[in-house]
Amino acid sequence: MIFKATRWLKGIGVLGMNRRNVEYIMRLNPRSSYPLVDDKVLTKRLAEEHQIPTPPLYHTIEYHGDIARLKNALHDQHEFVLKPARGAGGSGIVLVTEHTAEGFVKQSGEIISWKDLAYHISDILSGIYSLEGLEDRALIEALVHPDPIFDAVTYRGVPDIRIIVYRGVPVMGMVRLPTRASDGKANLHRGAIGVGIDIGKGTTRVGVHRSRTVTHHPDTGNPVSGIQVPHWESMLLMAARSVDMTDLGFLGVDMVIDQERGPLLLELNVRPGLQIQIANQSGLLRRLELVDKAPPDIFATPKARVAWAVEKFKALGF
Amino acid sequence: MKRPAVWLAAALVFVSFAFISYRILWLEYPVFPTAPGKAWQFNMEAHIKADQKEVRVMIGLPHTDAARSVVEERITSGKMTLDLLREGPNQVGIWSGDVGPGEEVISYRATIHMAHHRSSRAKPPKLEPYPAGVGKTEQTLAERLVRKWRQLAPPARLRAVAASVVGNWGVPPPDGQDLREWSTFQQKRGRLEALLVLLRAANLPARAVEGFLLIESISTAPLVWVEAWTGQDWENLEPDTGEIYRKSVSVLPLTIGGMPAVHVSHGQLSEIRWTLSRQIISHWRIHFERINQSNRLLDRWSLFRLPPEFQGTFRILLLVPISALMICVLRNIVGFPTFGIFMPVLMALAFRNTGLAFGLGIFAGVVLIGYLVRRWIDRLRLLLVPRLSVILTLVIASITAFALLGNKLGLREFMAVGLLPFVILTMTIERFFVITEEAGVRKGLWTAAGSAAVATITHEIIQLEPLQLTFFVYPELLFAVAAFQVLLGRFTGYRFSELIRFRKLRSPS
Repeated sequence: MIFKATRWLKGIGVLGMNRRNVEYIMRLNPRSSYPLVDDKVLTKRLAEEHQIPTPPLYHTIEYHGDIARLKNALHDQHEFVLKPARGAGGSGIVLVTEHTAEGFVKQSGEIISWKDLAYHISDILSGIYSLEGLEDRALIEALVHPDPIFDAVTYRGVPDIRIIVYRGVPVMGMVRLPTRASDGKANLHRGAIGVGIDIGKGTTRVGVHRSRTVTHHPDTGNPVSGIQVPHWESMLLMAARSVDMTDLGFLGVDMVIDQERGPLLLELNVRPGLQIQIANQSGLLRRLELVDKAPPDIFATPKARVAWAVEKFKALGF
Repeated sequence: MKRPAVWLAAALVFVSFAFISYRILWLEYPVFPTAPGKAWQFNMEAHIKADQKEVRVMIGLPHTDAARSVVEERITSGKMTLDLLREGPNQVGIWSGDVGPGEEVISYRATIHMAHHRSSRAKPPKLEPYPAGVGKTEQTLAERLVRKWRQLAPPARLRAVAASVVGNWGVPPPDGQDLREWSTFQQKRGRLEALLVLLRAANLPARAVEGFLLIESISTAPLVWVEAWTGQDWENLEPDTGEIYRKSVSVLPLTIGGMPAVHVSHGQLSEIRWTLSRQIISHWRIHFERINQSNRLLDRWSLFRLPPEFQGTFRILLLVPISALMICVLRNIVGFPTFGIFMPVLMALAFRNTGLAFGLGIFAGVVLIGYLVRRWIDRLRLLLVPRLSVILTLVIASITAFALLGNKLGLREFMAVGLLPFVILTMTIERFFVITEEAGVRKGLWTAAGSAAVATITHEIIQLEPLQLTFFVYPELLFAVAAFQVLLGRFTGYRFSELIRFRKLRSPS
C-alpha cells in the first residue's frame, strides 16, 4: 500500500519535503544568500536597488531604548504594520488600522494600548519571533490596502500571493486568503486558505484549508475559484526578477496587491511550503523537471522566462 | 541519493567492519559479544604436615597463555611463605616455612576463561633428546619398532604409535624378540615413559602433562597424559590405553614436560583436593578481564581500560547516536513531529533515573504546570530571557516539590530526577506554549505525543544491555551508525506523513 501510494505520488510529480530540501534548497540556494531573505529590512533594501516596489518603510527599531522614542514618532501614524525583521511564518506581525485615544486598533478590531505594543516590540527585539532566537529588529511599514478583487473571499487582513520561482521561472502560484481563524494573517498553518492560481491564465482554482480542499470561503461563503488575479503578468515578472536579485534558485516570492501602488514585494522565502501543491491540485516536481528540460536561451532574461512559463503552462493547463 | 554521500557511507561502513573483523579474527573477540563465555572456577586446597622444621611444597598452577586466561587469583598460605616461579612453560607456587606440629592449610583459587578456539599459531616445538637414563640399545630398539611408520604423515604416525600401547603393532608384526625386550622395558620404566620414547623414536615431539580435564569435578590427584605435536596442534593421549582425546575435550594442564604437579619435601600432604566448577559470570566481566589482560594496541585503547566509574557513562553515551539515527528515521521517513530535534533523546536519558512511567508522568505534570503558568505570565510582559528564567525557576520548584512529595509517599522515583532534564523541561514548556498559540492545542498535543513516543522508544533502546555491550566492545560501530545517518541525509523519498498529506491530490479535478 505504501509503495503504491509512493508510486502514485511520484507519478503525478508531487514534491516531498526530503527531495525539496536535498535536491532543490541545498543545491540551488547558497547559504550566503540566506541573510538577504531572512531579514525583511535587507530584502526591502535589495528590492529597492532593483526597482522592485515594496510597502514603504516608516521606521526600524533596533534597540530597546528606541521604543520610548517611537511613541512620538507613531503619533501621526494612523495605520501601519509592525513586523519582526527575521520573523517566520507570519508570527509577531501586528496590523494596526487605526490610532485612537484608547490605543491602537488591530485588524481584528481589538484595541491594544501603547504599553502592549511596546511590550510586543520588546519581544521582537529579544528575538522571540526570530528564526534562530537571535536578537532581532522590528520594522514598521505602511499598511497595504488590498485590491478589492479578493474582498468577497477575505475575512479581514490582507490576502497575499505566493509564487514559487525555480531558476528564475515562475512555476506555481497561489493566493492566500485570511480567515477568522487565521486572525487576519495570510499564513496557511494559521488557518488561512490557499487557492491555486493558473500560471498561464492568472485565474484562481480550488482552495485548500487546513489540508482539506474547499471551494468556498468558510467565513464569507463566497466561491474562491475562477477569480482573475489583477496584474498577474507583472507579478510573474517581479517574481522572476527576484532571482537576479538574490542568487537563489528555489524561492517562494510573497507579494500583495495594493489598491494604489499595485503589486508590492512582501518577502522572499527560501523554504517555501509544499501545501501549494494541494491548492493547485498539481505536483511541483513535474513542473521543476519541465523547467530543467527547457531550452537554455529562455533563462537569459526575466521576460523570456515568464514568456516561456506562460506559454508552456497554458498549453498544459497549469 | 548522490554519489559522494554513498561513497562516504560505504567508507564508514568499511572502516567499521575492518576494525571489527580485525578484533574478531586476530584478537579473538567473540562475534556476538553477548554470547556467554566459558569460565571455570578452579580451586585447590592442601593440608600440609611437616616432618622437619622447614617444609617445602611445590604445586603447579594454571596460568594465562594462548588457550586460556587466568584471572582473579587468590592464594592463602597461612604461616608459610609463597614464591611464584616461572619454569619453562610452567608456573609453580612454592610454599615453604615452618608449620609447627599441626597442619597448615594452603589454598589457591582462580577464574579461568577459555579462549574461544584453541590457538593454532603455537610454535612447532623442537624434537627433544630421549629421556634421561634411556640407553643406546633401548633407543635403537624403539627406532626399530617404529621404522615402518616413518613414512606416514605425523597424525597417522601418532595413531599408529598410540595403537601399539595396547599391543596393536599392525602388520607385519615386529620381531618377537624385539617385542619381548620392549615389554621388559615398558615394565621397568612405566608405560608413560615407554610411550614418550616410542614417540621420540617416531620423530614426534611429545611431553608428559599433569593436569585435569575441564569438567565439573573434584579430584585428589592430577591426571597424567601425553601431548604430542602432529605438525598443526597438540594431541592428547592417554598413556595407559593409547587413546587419543577427542578435540572437544578441553584440558587444564598444571605442569608440562615431566615436572610433577605436586612435590613435597620434608613433609607430606595429608590431604589435597582440586575442584573445578563452571562459573556463571556477567558478560561484562568476561570481556573486562580478557581485555584488561591483553597487551594489543586495540585492547590497550579499549573502553574497558577506563576507570569503572566512568564506564557507565560510555555504555549509555555510545547508544545515543543510534537514538539520533532513529530520530532521523522518524522525522525524515515517517514524518513524526517532536519538540526540538534531540529533545526526546535527552528526555530518554532523564528517564533512566526515574523509570519510564514515572518519567513520563513527571514530564507531563511539570509541562502542564509550566504551561498554565506560562499562559498567565504572558500578561506580565516579561522579556524573553528573564521570562525563560522564570519558567526555569518554576521547573526547579516543581521538581523540588515532587521530590518532597515523593519522600512523604515513599516514592523514590520522584526524588531521582537528577540534573539533566530541567533545561529540556523549560524549553519544552516554551515550545509547547508557542505551538499551541500559533497552531492550536491539537497540534501542540500531537507534538507532545510524538515527543513522548520517541522518548519512550529511545529509552527502550538505550536500556538494552546486549546493545550496550556490543557498542562498548566494538565502539567502531559508531562509524557504521554515521554511515546510515549520511545515507538518510540524502534520502529524497516521500515521508509517510506526506503520503497522507497529499492524498487529496488523488482525485485530480
